[in-house]
Amino acid sequence: MKLQKKTLICLGISLAIMLTALVLTLCGRGINFGLDFTGGLILNYDMGESFDTAIVEKTLGEIGVAEFAVSSSGEDGRVMQARIASLGSEDEVQLLQAALEEKLLAVYPGMDAAAATASYVGPVAGSTLVRNAISSVLLAAVLMLVYIAFRFDFASGLAAVLGLLHDVLIMLSFMVILRDLLQMNSSFIAAMLTIVGYSINNTIIIFDRIRENRKKPVHAGLDRMQMVDVSVRESLGRTINTTLTTLVTITCLYLLGVSAIREFSLPIIVGVLAGVYSANLINGYLWAALEGIGKRKK
Amino acid sequence: MKAANRPRSKTNRKTAAIVSLSIALVLTVLIGLLALNGMPLDSRGLYRLLPWVPSPGNWPDSISLGLDLKGGVYVEYEASLSPEQEAEGAEYGPLMEATQKVMMDRLSDKGFAEATVTQIGNTGIRVEIPDVKDPQAVLDLIGTPAKLEFADPNGNIFMDGSYVQTASQSFDVDSKPCIQLVLTKQGEKLFGDMTAQSIGQEIAIYLDDQLLMSPVVESAIYGPVQISGDYTVESAANVAMQLQSGALPMDLRQDKLDTISATLGRDALDTSVTAAMIGILLVMLIMLVRYRVCGLVASWALSIYIIALFFLIAVVPGIQLTLPGIAGVVLGIGMAVDANVVIFERIKEEVSGGRPLIHAVRIGFKNAMSAILDANVTTIIAAMVLLIFGTGSVRGFATTLLLGVLVSMLTAIVVSRFLLTNVVRLVKNPAVFLCAPKAQAEKEVQ
Repeated sequence: MKLQKKTLICLGISLAIMLTALVLTLCGRGINFGLDFTGGLILNYDMGESFDTAIVEKTLGEIGVAEFAVSSSGEDGRVMQARIASLGSEDEVQLLQAALEEKLLAVYPGMDAAAATASYVGPVAGSTLVRNAISSVLLAAVLMLVYIAFRFDFASGLAAVLGLLHDVLIMLSFMVILRDLLQMNSSFIAAMLTIVGYSINNTIIIFDRIRENRKKPVHAGLDRMQMVDVSVRESLGRTINTTLTTLVTITCLYLLGVSAIREFSLPIIVGVLAGVYSANLINGYLWAALEGIGKRKK
Repeated sequence: MKAANRPRSKTNRKTAAIVSLSIALVLTVLIGLLALNGMPLDSRGLYRLLPWVPSPGNWPDSISLGLDLKGGVYVEYEASLSPEQEAEGAEYGPLMEATQKVMMDRLSDKGFAEATVTQIGNTGIRVEIPDVKDPQAVLDLIGTPAKLEFADPNGNIFMDGSYVQTASQSFDVDSKPCIQLVLTKQGEKLFGDMTAQSIGQEIAIYLDDQLLMSPVVESAIYGPVQISGDYTVESAANVAMQLQSGALPMDLRQDKLDTISATLGRDALDTSVTAAMIGILLVMLIMLVRYRVCGLVASWALSIYIIALFFLIAVVPGIQLTLPGIAGVVLGIGMAVDANVVIFERIKEEVSGGRPLIHAVRIGFKNAMSAILDANVTTIIAAMVLLIFGTGSVRGFATTLLLGVLVSMLTAIVVSRFLLTNVVRLVKNPAVFLCAPKAQAEKEVQ
């Protein structure tokens, strides 16, 4: 059985998005990795008195540091620790420190600039964590496939997991396309895992409907593609309402939240949309086509 | 048909429904107030049940927060090669990475999923641990080498901790806490052959060059090895955990230890909680508009979901909420109504198919169950895999995901069903009940 035209168009749109991201990445405009993935510098200053991290953050912004995390440490919170993105050379580090010290000394004259340290710090989400996340997700995908194959059929399991792969790839693609807006930090791993859980739900609701409709004598005359059509249509009420409630909460967070929340919620919004899209327009038809291949061989 | 009996039993059922719902409402409100305010447990105010559900500007102490929101302690270590490693000409790079992995595993096992381990320069390791009450205990746990060695009667080391497959806390024959080691195949052979040759002699087991025990071998031991000694359940479990994660491959010297503040301000937390509140209210509004009385039931169930979920987040160890973690919980709230939506849509179908409301509710539930079960079981499978095989924040995420799915499934299947079966006895009009087409249904009711 061949895929219908509209499914092919949908697949085409997804592929176009992924290809755009791939080309951009090859042109050197790939994912914008943040501090969690790249590591950077830790600056350590004794400020001489307890200080306000907000003032340090403002100062870092003024001297052109794009990404930073500032915290206080030590007794009375006198020690300032700032994690910033790596700079090209030793000279640049010294220039930056000089600019920072000049501005901060004006506010905190007790600051001990001579005792400052700057050391390179590795990524929080280092290769071990990333490798572990990827291998766990792959294992989870295999086990989900097995469960779905057991409860539905093998084609359903395969189609559902391919749908997951689609959603995750679309999320990654948008991280590339929106690189000026979005940095990838370790919260992206959580966002990806969230979408894996969410989008499998969407697919299963539709597959459950297909499973049910195949047993109904009313639908006996329909071929597999039509069966998917009917099932998607019958599930539409649920699809709309659940998507609405999910998007409402995450959009509230995106609109009101600080940048750490936006870094998490925008990929989620992309993932939720990708998940609804694939569950309704791709996965079911993919199942029908896969099932068709299986049946013809027998 | 006993016509005389019918109206009475109907009124009885109605009364029963009203009583059930009223009790449920009172309970929900009481537990909700408790969740928001806590309660003193004695007259002098020494003991207090802490509140566990956050409200804007008011984050309960019972829910741990991550480094970004609460800060914690940081400690820096200087790693160095042991003399033997130096002699072998070992390189720092891979050993540093292995050391960090062992430390992260130990932290995850101890429930500090959101702790971070990073490399400083070429030979430094920085560990940040959020929201920790007894930092020294945790540092002892992650910083000790846990180098296990087995010596034969002549004092020669013939086996080390790398032959340990699993280590766990167990109880010995005197039912005292002990450490149980399951050795790898190779280890079992090594240990078995050695004990076979040493019957009647003393062998020794060392941990970090300290003698753990020196038993006299009574017979050859091919199988698990028990290490008993002066252990409590907790200390045995800690040593077992260290042995399980493997010995630290490098020598560590603690350099600095200090507290560290949150990197995000208090307002980041407060605005997120406000955003979450608005989101939840909007979800309830959507449910009310789309499903009327059923929407009310869903909102009620959702409130119970929130109370139950945060209770579990507070009591289940190993969860420190970072800001993205909170966002994840909020998103989970949006998703939690899904099961209700699936059920309501099924009921709606049955109603427009012409079934009377009471039957429609029963059959709607039945039809929705397979979808809800399969969808949730699949997610539970994924969460379990991440929980067992993940490290660090992946494991923390899996814990909250798992709790969210379990609670939402439970509230949909138990709470929503209880509420709906009672409400349906009071509200007879399908249009009011769940916005279903009325005309068709009325025919059937008569």
